[in-house]
Amino acid sequence: MVSDPPYRIELKPYGAALLDLARERPEIVCLSGDLTRQCEVDLFRDEIPERFVHAGMAEANMMGMAAAMARSGLIPFVHTFGVFATRRPLDQIINAIAYPHLPVRIVGFMPGISSPGGPSHQAIDDVALMRSLPGMTVIDVADATETRQMVRAVVDVAGPVYIRLKRGEIPSIFPSSHEFSLDHAQEITPGTDVALFASGMMLAAALRAERTLHEHGVSVSVVNVPVIKPIDAETVRRVAARCRVAVTAENHSIIGGLGSAVAEVLAEAASATPLRRVGLADTYAEGAGSASYLFRKYGLSTQHLVETAWTALGRHDQPPEATEVPVDAGEYAPV
Amino acid sequence: MVARHGFGYLGQALSSAELFAALYGAAVRYGTDRIVVSPGHYVIAAFAAAAEMGHADDALLAQYGRDGSAVEAIGTERTPLLDYTCGSLGQGLSAAVGFAVADRILGHGDTRTFAVISDGEVQEGQVWEAAMFAGHHHLDRITVLLDANNSQVDGPVDEITTIEPLADKWTAFGWDAFDVDGHDVAAIQSALGQSIEAERPQVVICRTSTRHGLACLPLDADGHFIKLDPNLAAAAIDELEGRLATDGQ
Repeated sequence: MVSDPPYRIELKPYGAALLDLARERPEIVCLSGDLTRQCEVDLFRDEIPERFVHAGMAEANMMGMAAAMARSGLIPFVHTFGVFATRRPLDQIINAIAYPHLPVRIVGFMPGISSPGGPSHQAIDDVALMRSLPGMTVIDVADATETRQMVRAVVDVAGPVYIRLKRGEIPSIFPSSHEFSLDHAQEITPGTDVALFASGMMLAAALRAERTLHEHGVSVSVVNVPVIKPIDAETVRRVAARCRVAVTAENHSIIGGLGSAVAEVLAEAASATPLRRVGLADTYAEGAGSASYLFRKYGLSTQHLVETAWTALGRHDQPPEATEVPVDAGEYAPV
Repeated sequence: MVARHGFGYLGQALSSAELFAALYGAAVRYGTDRIVVSPGHYVIAAFAAAAEMGHADDALLAQYGRDGSAVEAIGTERTPLLDYTCGSLGQGLSAAVGFAVADRILGHGDTRTFAVISDGEVQEGQVWEAAMFAGHHHLDRITVLLDANNSQVDGPVDEITTIEPLADKWTAFGWDAFDVDGHDVAAIQSALGQSIEAERPQVVICRTSTRHGLACLPLDADGHFIKLDPNLAAAAIDELEGRLATDGQ
């Protein structure tokens, strides 16, 4: 169902998919907050300039304009980095977009600690902020295939959508036959010991952790949860009920994101399956020279997932070691 | 509308009454143009003006501020007659800009967007983000009516911060600015008429007072949120009806 790492890298799968769709759908408009190439929409700007808006470094105004454009019958896709898409214009998103339930698609690039740009550039709370807004769909996809399919899947969602996307080199994990669903999370490997729920960039690490644990006799069900809101509660309950422990993996604070969403589902279901949340443990991330350094320092590595599952299962012996996957240029492997 | 509760956004209605009279009475083509009321507290004046022009009935106004009403004191999505919900200050001009950009993309060359904003709101940075964008793109289908009533919650605007020179600021952002007596309907209408000919976005700065038109209001009435006890409400109604009777002669 999924390929093995190292994964082949694609460039601009989102930008190409949006342009493809916009050729068919004249109501799609594209707004950019001075990060046009970085958000892959230079492709849109160069081919359909009449439907492209340079909003400049003015996120509050950009969200307000998008809201009015949506009220005029257009479908705005709004682009900047995740931090600037959610923190600066939060009040505008709430009052102008979320409350009127308008079809604005807010696309925030560079999720979590994938940016070595320091806490000012790290969107570690964007999912939490957007998930708390009534009617907001929240998406964190794992690879290029899902990214392409997601663009078509969200265009006709009635209300607002927040999409967080990895910037730059995008791994191709799923085959083209994979079907992205707004309604269903996908159980990628069947397992009975550990239910491992992962979103976005952490899916690759979750798949790698499954291999390591499997080789040491631990059966892991990896569940891909690209849609964090509305969460597929039925799949979360079903897989967690079958396993001895549940672990969530997100490139985000453990407060308010995927881990919280899964915890809420399990608590309301009176689940007896213990839960561990892997992500940023209520901290900002400093000392960045590279993303891989931060993923290790703050406990978002494959090895950390292995150790979390191991100890959650009550094992006191030495946890197995996840082997590094060597990568060449044009390839991607999780930390 | 305010008398029933004994308090409310009466100061805003008093300062903007002539502004809305000019807007609804002459400038707006109902069903073609758009109206954004950026300070959501001003919807009371928009409702009254719309009712006067026959776009809303008195039964709707009677529901103003009542439990379960679609006509809340600050506009909501259920509020009729307006094209965009505001309330958190400083956001309405971005809406007007977005409508104007959408009209360009959709080829709706004839539609105008009127935005009412207040002087206190220009303290919000978003107003200037929107003003800069509109100036750069020559969005000449936008007209702003700015109610300069020198009133905000903590007191007179000019005691909180300096927003002047307002006309120069808008001009510097690429707008055509008109500075008029905001209680003179003819002056506002004249500025609106000139502004519609302009090739740049336009702002009509209306100099007003939150106590205008009601001599019975105490001198220290809080312009943002006026308390109107039953005696004062009765005096206000007497004063207004007396003036109507006089003017009608």
